[in-house]
Amino acid sequence: MSDTSPIIRCQNVWKLYGPGAEALSGQSASRLDDAFLAARGLVPAVRDVTLDIRQGEIFVIMGLSGSGKSTLVRCMTGLVDTTLGDLWIGADNLRGIEAKRLVDIRRRRISMVFQDFALLPHLTVLDNIAFPLRVQGMGREARLKRARELAELVALTGREDRFPHELSGGQQQRVGIARSLTTDPEIWFLDEPFSALDPLIRHEMQDEFLRLQGTLHKTIVFITHDFEEAIRIADRIAIMHDGRVVQVDTPEGLILNPADAYVAEFTRKIPRHRVMRAGSLTRPAPAQTEGTPVPATALVADIAARVLASDRPVPVADEKGAIIGAVDRDRVIAAICGTDAA
Amino acid sequence: MMMAALIRRPPPAASAAGRARMQAAAAVLGLILALVLAALWRDALPAWVVRPPKGWLFDLAGPVNRFLAWLSQEAAIGPVTVKGLTRGIASGFALPLDLLQGLLVKGIDLPLPGGTLRLAALPWWALAAAAAIFGHWVAGRRAAGLVLATCGYFLVLGLWEAAMQTLASVAVAVVVGAILGIALGAAAHRWPRLDAGLNLVYDVMQTLPVFSYLVPILLFFGFGPVAALIATVIYAMPPMARNTTLALRRLPASVMELASMAGCSPRQRLFLVLLPAARQGLLTGFNQLVMLSLSAVIIASVIGAGGLGNVVLQGLKSMQLGRAFEAGLGITLMAIVLDRLSHAVALRRPAHGNQRAGLRRHPALYGALAILVAGLAAAQTVPALRDFPEALTGSSGRTLDNFFAWANVALEAPIGAVRDGVVRHLFRPAKEALLALPWLAMAGLVAVLAYAASGAALALACTAMLGFIALTGYWDLAMTSLYLVGISTLIATLIGFPIGVLAAQGPRLGRITALVIDTLQTLPTFVYLIPVVMLFGLGDFPAMVAIVLFALPPAIRYPMDGIARVPKSLVEAADMAGCTRLQRLALVQIPQALPEIMLGLSQTILMAFGMLVITALVGTRGLEQETLVAVSKARVGEGLIAGLGISFLSIMADRLITHGSARLRRRLGQG
Ligand SMILES: Nc1ncnc2c1ncn2[C@@H]1O[C@H](COP(=O)(O)OP(=O)(O)OP(=O)(O)O)[C@@H](O)[C@H]1O
Ligand SMILES: [Mg+2]
Repeated sequence: MSDTSPIIRCQNVWKLYGPGAEALSGQSASRLDDAFLAARGLVPAVRDVTLDIRQGEIFVIMGLSGSGKSTLVRCMTGLVDTTLGDLWIGADNLRGIEAKRLVDIRRRRISMVFQDFALLPHLTVLDNIAFPLRVQGMGREARLKRARELAELVALTGREDRFPHELSGGQQQRVGIARSLTTDPEIWFLDEPFSALDPLIRHEMQDEFLRLQGTLHKTIVFITHDFEEAIRIADRIAIMHDGRVVQVDTPEGLILNPADAYVAEFTRKIPRHRVMRAGSLTRPAPAQTEGTPVPATALVADIAARVLASDRPVPVADEKGAIIGAVDRDRVIAAICGTDAA
Repeated sequence: MMMAALIRRPPPAASAAGRARMQAAAAVLGLILALVLAALWRDALPAWVVRPPKGWLFDLAGPVNRFLAWLSQEAAIGPVTVKGLTRGIASGFALPLDLLQGLLVKGIDLPLPGGTLRLAALPWWALAAAAAIFGHWVAGRRAAGLVLATCGYFLVLGLWEAAMQTLASVAVAVVVGAILGIALGAAAHRWPRLDAGLNLVYDVMQTLPVFSYLVPILLFFGFGPVAALIATVIYAMPPMARNTTLALRRLPASVMELASMAGCSPRQRLFLVLLPAARQGLLTGFNQLVMLSLSAVIIASVIGAGGLGNVVLQGLKSMQLGRAFEAGLGITLMAIVLDRLSHAVALRRPAHGNQRAGLRRHPALYGALAILVAGLAAAQTVPALRDFPEALTGSSGRTLDNFFAWANVALEAPIGAVRDGVVRHLFRPAKEALLALPWLAMAGLVAVLAYAASGAALALACTAMLGFIALTGYWDLAMTSLYLVGISTLIATLIGFPIGVLAAQGPRLGRITALVIDTLQTLPTFVYLIPVVMLFGLGDFPAMVAIVLFALPPAIRYPMDGIARVPKSLVEAADMAGCTRLQRLALVQIPQALPEIMLGLSQTILMAFGMLVITALVGTRGLEQETLVAVSKARVGEGLIAGLGISFLSIMADRLITHGSARLRRRLGQG
């Protein structure tokens, strides 16, 4: 699923807002405690974030409103300058990067989808999609040809000549997605791309997104404050709280081993059986089990019906097919009801 | 326990607000008392409190005159003299203006090797047809009809040439103003620090009487239509720049980020993303630019810019009121057409389906162009097709003149009685009271109000501005202007407020009122003078009527919109509490709409000052008259200083009220 080499690396990244924030860029981070910041009226939108994002993974950033998700992603894209710390995109450190080099990275390697779509009202769907290529000076015919391909990819064929105000919200975001893909970027940033949409459309767009990623295999940084959305799509999730990243883990890891009470609270309402996998409920196999083994990586939700219907525990096997234990009715019920953490 | 505590403690917010209100009332009463006492006992006061003594005054006009004379004639930047530079700019403007006027009215002399070739102007039928097609394209069939009717009006009354001349000036001024305004607006958006400075400059530009900078412009750019053009741009450009900055600032942050993420260069960001995305806001500014340009082009006829304004002016001067009236009506029609069309352009949204390229995309526009070309060709070859047949033209001329003369005589008795009564019992006492006030008492009052509304900075600024007026020796004239504006504003508010409140009672009523005041608002200031002079002659009374008419729209609109905007839940709550309609209005709607009503007041005052400046033409006596006299006597410095005085007065009034309104809004918890 994902290569292990990091493609984005954040090292002790800070972003402060407020009077004189830029002047602090030479400071040592150890001085930046709450008292110091409060005394100067500085807002730490991102504080001391260190994390790696691996090639090809879907990395979700979660947190409540104002926790610093957007700011962190804007640091990664160079849209805002970090106050302190290093931020690498591949071999380029964004700190003090030449403007020309940054433009080059944005034109070829990264792209972004915005929460409010950010479509240009005076351009048609096709021209909106082709916009990044136009900026690069590609000829009209060539860029419209490419835009047509992308319109087809996001199922907008037949609407190429419309203007943004003539489209529904979901269709508008399809344009936003297509536009962000025209330059075939390596890294794809999405800042709450679906939160302006109705629940039904949102679900449909998530499916669409997963289908796209199935063919594209990009490195994805995805912001959301919807945990359901996160667990549907994430390989790994970073939870942010007051500018800090408090935990980075797989969805299951967050539920099973929350780093603190905040994360636990965050994950509490999540239906566990849709996150936890059979492996984590496995006990040593008793003498008698029933039926063919289920894979350890199967979601509890998918095997629940079978386990609940059988009188005896169901065997669990690892990737190689070896039985590593069994899962019984009590544990599945506990997982569904959320009464038991493991 | 809880209940007891709740009952015993009075609600803290209410008591604080109550105390603040008491204090405010006491302060205002105290100040008024002090003013009355100061006015009554002015003889007992030291003379320097009443008026600044001669020795304090300084002569600013002299140095300003000398400086401007030097700057315009002798100063040089390196090898280039300022004079050369400004004359260069003037000829740069003259070229497109000449070309357009040539095309529309005068014809063009093309210098060719074998002598000059005379190119006749576009014939009336081609222009009218092209304008109608364009009108249809932007605003539909009714607009096309309006365009044709207007063209017909000008043709039949023999005003065609004057109208085309005005149109040419407006067109060139609009192009220059749009380029300049968008450039300055974009710069202010790019460098926010520039914004504050520019805003101050725009404030002065918009409140400075046109007459006060006409002469300096003549000094630098020479006499002629170009000077009028530059004055027009100064007058009309600020809203374009302001709307540009505002529209750019209102763009969602993500649009800016999109530009960055797509890797735009600064130029691409501006021209491919920011300006097109802000198009709607820019066009709002454009509409204002067009309307103000028309207004200014008409005023500029005072320095001989020709066109419709000139016809009106000549008509008024020679008491050919019929002719003035006809031209005035023509200006009104032109204003309505221009407003309709530029408004429709602003509302146009692209729709799919008209995406075909070139000719097929806009067949109407190419058709209009083809007609113009054909017309130009026909005018060269068949002179008979050039001019509107003389037999069809006519002017009401004498008939209207006679009618106005008759009406004047017939109405003199009733109108005269009203006029004399108002002047005797309202104008004169008000003016005398204002003039009786010691200047220090007035300055003190303004400073206290400014401090209460905003703080020390505004108080200081107001004191400095009043000090400027007093020490340059214009205090009495300033008070004369202020009295006229004050009375007119009061009357406009007394008329406008009830109408606004009434119109807010039903959506239908509101729509009709909005339509009427929108139309009133499109009319250039100059137009208002015409009927007023016809009915009331010259002096403060007709000036007051013109000011009230001109300032009425905001006095109606703001209360109307403010009341209509009171949250529905509050209105329903009042109804559920058993309020009668009157109670609901008095206890809920009007108090809630108060900040908006105050903003309306400040707009009313600004409009009143805008009109005051022009009423100099009907013989008022304040600072505005000084600026007009400065035009005829070419007294640059005096005109500028008197003009600055008016500018300061209106800026002060505006700041005091808007800050007061903002304060009130915070108190009411409206953000
Ligand atoms: N340009 C700015 N100037 C000042 N403060 C800012 C700015 N941008 C963000 N902040 C502050 O930084 C903090 C983090 O904001 P950010 O937009 O990153 O949060 P978020 O997690 O994306 O929230 P949301 O879910 O609402 O989008 C907030 O407290 C915000 O007020
Ligand atoms: Mg955000």
